[in-house]
Amino acid sequence: MTTDNYILFTVAGTSYALPSQDVAHVEMVDQVTRVPNAPAFVDGVVFSRGQVVPAINMRARFGFERAALDVSSRLLVVQSKGRSVGLLVDSCREFMNVPQSSIHPPGEALSGLSAQYVDGMASVGNRLIVVLSLERLLGSTEHAVATRPREQASGEGHGYTETRN
Amino acid sequence: MATQKRAINGTHHAFDPRSVIGQAEQVTASAHGIARTADEVWEGASEQLRSLDQASVELESTAASLAETATLAESILAATEETLSGANEMAASIEGLASNINGLTSFIGKTATAIDQSSASIQSVSATAAEMATAAEQVTTSITQMSSSVRAVSGDTESLAASVEQTSASLIEMAASIRSVSGNSDDLAAASEQTASSINEMAASIEEVGAMSENLATIIEQNSASIEEMARSIQSVAASGRNIADAATTAAASATQTEKSIESVAGLASRADALARRVSSEAQEGGAAVERSIQGIGRLRTAMSQSSTVMKEMGKRTSDITSIVATINMIAERTNLLSLNASIEAARAGDAGRGFAVVAEEIRNLADRSAKATADIGAIIKGLQDVAQEAITASAEGLRVADDSNAIAETGAAGLRKILGGVNETVEIVGQIARATDEQRQAGKAVTHAVASTVEQSRLVAEATGQQSSAAASIVQGTAQMRKVAQEVTKAVTEQGRASRDIMKAAQSSSRLAADVRKATAEQARTTDQLTQMSETVRKGAASTARAVSEQAVASEQITKAASHLNRQIGLVSRAMIEQTATAKALANGIEGIRTQSDQAARAAAEQARTMKEVAKASEATAREVRSVAKGNQQHSKSAARIVSQVADIRRITQRNVEGVSRTRGGTADLIEQARALTGLMKTPQGRSPNGRNGR
Repeated sequence: MTTDNYILFTVAGTSYALPSQDVAHVEMVDQVTRVPNAPAFVDGVVFSRGQVVPAINMRARFGFERAALDVSSRLLVVQSKGRSVGLLVDSCREFMNVPQSSIHPPGEALSGLSAQYVDGMASVGNRLIVVLSLERLLGSTEHAVATRPREQASGEGHGYTETRN
Repeated sequence: MATQKRAINGTHHAFDPRSVIGQAEQVTASAHGIARTADEVWEGASEQLRSLDQASVELESTAASLAETATLAESILAATEETLSGANEMAASIEGLASNINGLTSFIGKTATAIDQSSASIQSVSATAAEMATAAEQVTTSITQMSSSVRAVSGDTESLAASVEQTSASLIEMAASIRSVSGNSDDLAAASEQTASSINEMAASIEEVGAMSENLATIIEQNSASIEEMARSIQSVAASGRNIADAATTAAASATQTEKSIESVAGLASRADALARRVSSEAQEGGAAVERSIQGIGRLRTAMSQSSTVMKEMGKRTSDITSIVATINMIAERTNLLSLNASIEAARAGDAGRGFAVVAEEIRNLADRSAKATADIGAIIKGLQDVAQEAITASAEGLRVADDSNAIAETGAAGLRKILGGVNETVEIVGQIARATDEQRQAGKAVTHAVASTVEQSRLVAEATGQQSSAAASIVQGTAQMRKVAQEVTKAVTEQGRASRDIMKAAQSSSRLAADVRKATAEQARTTDQLTQMSETVRKGAASTARAVSEQAVASEQITKAASHLNRQIGLVSRAMIEQTATAKALANGIEGIRTQSDQAARAAAEQARTMKEVAKASEATAREVRSVAKGNQQHSKSAARIVSQVADIRRITQRNVEGVSRTRGGTADLIEQARALTGLMKTPQGRSPNGRNGR
C-alpha cells in the first residue's frame, strides 16, 4: 500500500525522510506561540489552516542545540491517527521517490532509543538519508509526554491523543 | 915687638954664647915643630885638592846630566807644542764647523782657568826667582863682609908690617902668612858650608824636579788617555756624521716623494672641487624632484580620498542589491514550498494527479535554480562588499601612507636643503684645500731645496770630521812619543838625584877636611905667635903677607863684582818673570774677552768640544809642567854654575894655602939653617960676629 514517495528535511546538517502520505502539508513558520507547562522539546503552538497544532522542535527532540528560526525554517504538519502535529525542522525542500530496495536496515550499531524510530538508512547518490517511522517517532514522543507529572491522570501513552480528542 | 927689640938689644948688651946656643937650639926645635905642622897642613891641603877635583868631576857630570835634562825638556816642549799645534789645528777645524760647534765657551773658560793656573805657576817661578835674588844678595853681603874683613886684615897686616919694620922680615912674613892661611881657612870653611848648603838646595831642587817629572808623567798618561778617548769620540762623531749624511739623503728622497704626493693631492683636490660642484647642481635637481614628488603625493591623496568616497557609495548600493536578492530568494523559497505541497497533493490524488506532480516538479526545479542563482548572487555581493571594504580600508591606509610620504618627503626636502648647504660649504672648503695644496706644493719645493742643502752640509761635516779623525791619530802618536820622553826624563832626574847625593857626601867630607885644616892652622898660628915673640926676622914675611892680603882683597873685589853681576842677572830674571806674569794676565784678560764673545756659539758637537778642551787643557798643563821643568833645570844649571865657581874659589884658596904652607916650609928651613949656623958660630970660640945674624 505504501508508495516510494518521501519528503526530505534536514535537522542539524543531517537529511531525514518521512513518507509523503504521512505529511499533510509544509509551511513557513513565522513565530511559535509559547504555551505554559509544555514539554521541553515543544516550542509552543502554531495556527495552521484553521487549527492549532503543537510545534515539536526536532533539534531538541533529537538532542541537539536549538537554532533561531530563519527563511529556510519549515513546519511539517503530519497526520498520525487522526491527529495533526507540527515538526520544526531546519529546512524542507525535496519530494523524492526512493525505491524500497535502496533502504537498508539500521543494523545493530544503532540500538537504544534512536533505533526505535529509524526504519533504515537510504543511500541516494552520495547522500546518506535517515528514513524515519512517524508512528514510532510520535509514539516515543507520546510516551515522553505521558511521563510528564501534569498528564498523569490521562493514562500513559495516550496523553497527546486524548488531548487531541 | 918691643920685647923682641929689647931682647935683641939685650943680646947686644950682654952677650952670652951659651944662652945663645940654648936659644938657637930651642929655635931649631920650634922650627922642626913648625915644619912638622906644615907637613901636616900640606898633606891636608893636598887631600882637599883631590877631594875638590873629585867634586869638580861630579859637578861636571851633573852639569852634563842637567844639560841632557834640558834637551829632553826642550824635546818635550817641542812635542807638547806639536801636540798643541795639532790641537790648534783641530780647534781651527772645529771653528771651520762654524757656529755648529758647541761648548766653545766652556772650553775657553777652561782655557782661561788653565792660563790662570799657568799665571799662578809663573808667579810661583817669579817668587822662586825673587827668593833666589834674596839668596844671591845674601851671598853678595857675605862676600862683601868677607871683602871688608879682608881689607881689615890687610890694614892690620900693613900696620903690622909697619911696626915690625925692624924685626925679622921672614918671621913677620911667616906669621902674616900663617894668619892669612888661618883667615883663608875660615873663609874656606865658610865657603864649604855655603857650598854644602847650595848643594843641599840643589838636591832639594832636584827632588822637586823629580816630583815634577813624575807629576808630568802622570799628566801625560792622563793626557794620552784623554786623547785616545777623544780619538774614539771623534771616530764615533765621524760615524754619526756618515749616519747624518745617509739620513739626509733619505730625507731628500722623502722630500721628493712628498712633493710628488703633494702634486697628486693637488690634482685630487681640483678633481674633488669639480665633483663637489657637480654634486651641488645634482642636489639642487634632487631638491626640485622632491618638491615635485610632494606635489604628486598631494594629488594622490586627493585621488585616494575620492576613491574612498566612491567605494562607500558602492557599498551602499550593494546593500540595496542584497535586499532585492533577499526578496527574490524569499519568492524562490515560497515557490519551492508551493511546488512541494503541490507534489504532496498530487501524490495523494494518485494516478489523476500524476501530470500535476510533473508540473510541480518542474516548478520546484525552477525555484531551486532561482534560489541557487540568488545564493550565487548573494555570495558575489558578499565578495563585492568584502572587496569594497578592503578597498576602503586600503584607501584609508593609502591616505595615511600618503600623509606619511608627504611628511617624509618634507623631511627629505629639508635634508636635501641641508645637503645642498653642506655641499656648497664643501665646494668652498675644497676650493680652499686646492689653494692650500698649491701653497703646499711651493713649500714642498722649498723643503726639497733645504734638504738638498742639508745633504751638502752634512757631507761637509763628515769630511771635516774625517780630517779631525786623522789629526787625532797624529796627536795620539805624538802623545806616545811624549810619554816615552817623559819616562826618560824621570830616569835622568833619578840619576841626578843620585849624583847630587854623591856631591853632598863629597861636600860634607870637604867641610870636614876644612875643619881639620882650620884646626891645624890654629895650632900653627899659636906656634907662630911663639915664633914672633922670638924673632923680628919675619918682617919680610909680613910684607909678603901684606901683598898676599892685598891680592886677596883684589880677589874679593872680583868676587863681589861677580856677585853683584849675578844679582843684576837675577834682578833681570825677576823683572822678566814679572813681565811674563803681566803678559799672562793680559792673555787671561784676552781669553776672558774671547769667552764673552764665544758665549753666542752654538751647542752642537758638545762631546767633541769637551774632549778637545780636555786635550787642550792637558796640553797646556803639560806645557806648563815642561816649562816648570825647564825653569827648574835653568835654576839647576845656575846653582851648578854657582857651585862650580865656588868650588873653583875653594880650589884657588886651597892652592894659595898650599903656596903659603910651602913658603912657611921654606922660611922654616931657612930658620933652621940659620939657627944651625948660629949654633956653629957660637960653638966657634968667641964668635966672630957679636951682633950675629939674627936680623937676617
